[in-house]
Amino acid sequence: MKRSILYSGTAFLIAVFLLPKLMQAARVGDTAPDFTATASDGRTYHLSDYKGKFVVLEWHNNGCPYTRKHYESGNMQRLQKEWTARGVVWFTVISSAPNTQGYVTASEENGYLAKMQAAPTAALLDPSGPLGHLYGAKTTPHMFIINPQGQLIYDGAIDDRATTDLSDVNGATNYVTVALQEAMAGKPVSTPATRPYGCSVKYGN
Amino acid sequence: MYSRIFFRQLLLSLGLVLGWVRNVGADSVPIPHGKIELVAETGSIQPGHSFCVGLNFHLESGWHIYWINPGDAGEPPRLTWRLPAGISTKPIEWPVPTALPAFSDMDFGYQNQVLLLVPMMASAGVKAAPADIAADVKLIVCREVCIPGKAQVALSLPVTNRAAAPNLSVRELFDAARKQLPRSSPTVWKFKAASQKDSFRLTGTVGHPTTKAFFFPLEPSQIENAAPQTVQPTKGGFAMTLKKSEQLLKPIRDLKGVLLLGDRAYAITVPVQ
Repeated sequence: MKRSILYSGTAFLIAVFLLPKLMQAARVGDTAPDFTATASDGRTYHLSDYKGKFVVLEWHNNGCPYTRKHYESGNMQRLQKEWTARGVVWFTVISSAPNTQGYVTASEENGYLAKMQAAPTAALLDPSGPLGHLYGAKTTPHMFIINPQGQLIYDGAIDDRATTDLSDVNGATNYVTVALQEAMAGKPVSTPATRPYGCSVKYGN
Repeated sequence: MYSRIFFRQLLLSLGLVLGWVRNVGADSVPIPHGKIELVAETGSIQPGHSFCVGLNFHLESGWHIYWINPGDAGEPPRLTWRLPAGISTKPIEWPVPTALPAFSDMDFGYQNQVLLLVPMMASAGVKAAPADIAADVKLIVCREVCIPGKAQVALSLPVTNRAAAPNLSVRELFDAARKQLPRSSPTVWKFKAASQKDSFRLTGTVGHPTTKAFFFPLEPSQIENAAPQTVQPTKGGFAMTLKKSEQLLKPIRDLKGVLLLGDRAYAITVPVQ
């Protein structure tokens, strides 16, 4: 009895503390793992419903200075509008756990989207983190692109200026733009993976 | 608070102008959750010789700044120097960092106190007047959250033809920082790296069996920073497993980084087979 408690306790510890680190997240070239998530608009979204479309995943934390750089400059909203207008599905994903920076309720997120004039297809709420761990999201922002065949084609930073300076948005090479342009033109993505930069994703235990 | 800082700055500037104060680096400047000061290892500069300054960070408990490779989050401090003609800088020398877990990430950085060393060179023709050495510092200070900051630091050193005398008040500070700099590994030591499916196996022959080894990668996206580094002792050293980065798509030529063995750090570049 005691032993089984010890074992299950150990298994629990492994599951809770080590699994996210040991788990093999999808790599560029792999099939993007399917997910189901609830958004701030109250709807449930399944990745599998978007076969045939490009899908962008954007990890988000409204208090992180790296995220704020791209929202206060209007860069992220511009990208969301430009690419959703071209048929891309854009999911903002919030994996901040309750009581950590960036955690929002659905109504708080809807208020934020309105105030910032953000235009993702939906903002997925992932407060217990399974979606973040499934993709190995490390930072905010951390960007992923999935092609119409369901394959992961980009994993990494939003651009090549790993700073919090708003003035660095202009003149940066935006990896998401480059990857989408290349993939839509039927070309291979020239920079398919980069070091994501930003704040740690505030996962709960 | 601000007026007091302003007053001190004013007094200091006045002092520098009038030449009352020389080699004042000890005036610290606030950064988010800490302060920094620019200090010089010597009391003066001799034309045609190198000298060294240091950026000394003090951070409140729990807060950290970043190493040259920050790991998963953050970014290293960035310095923009303003120097008189004839004085040039070399790259920052970074003491070995600490591995700092943050949520599911692993950051590489410094807590409490660190001195980043900046070697400088004075040309033979440098003007024989007090040299004002200044830097704009951009940085991010993190605990559970991150706060970007900016600061300006400065000091003034006389330029004389005498050999520069050590600034005794900072000798221990510089000595301690130099002990923490990665050094070359002894030539009799051997390292090997092999690429496996999801990991690299790094083995070292270092004269004795050990498990007290940790590898800080210099290049981003080579290894998964937060993955446990398993270290097994071997007859003459260790064998270590480093999980490949999820952002690593191509074979790499070298595993490049700082190996911490016990309390000594070594810069290593190991070809990957």
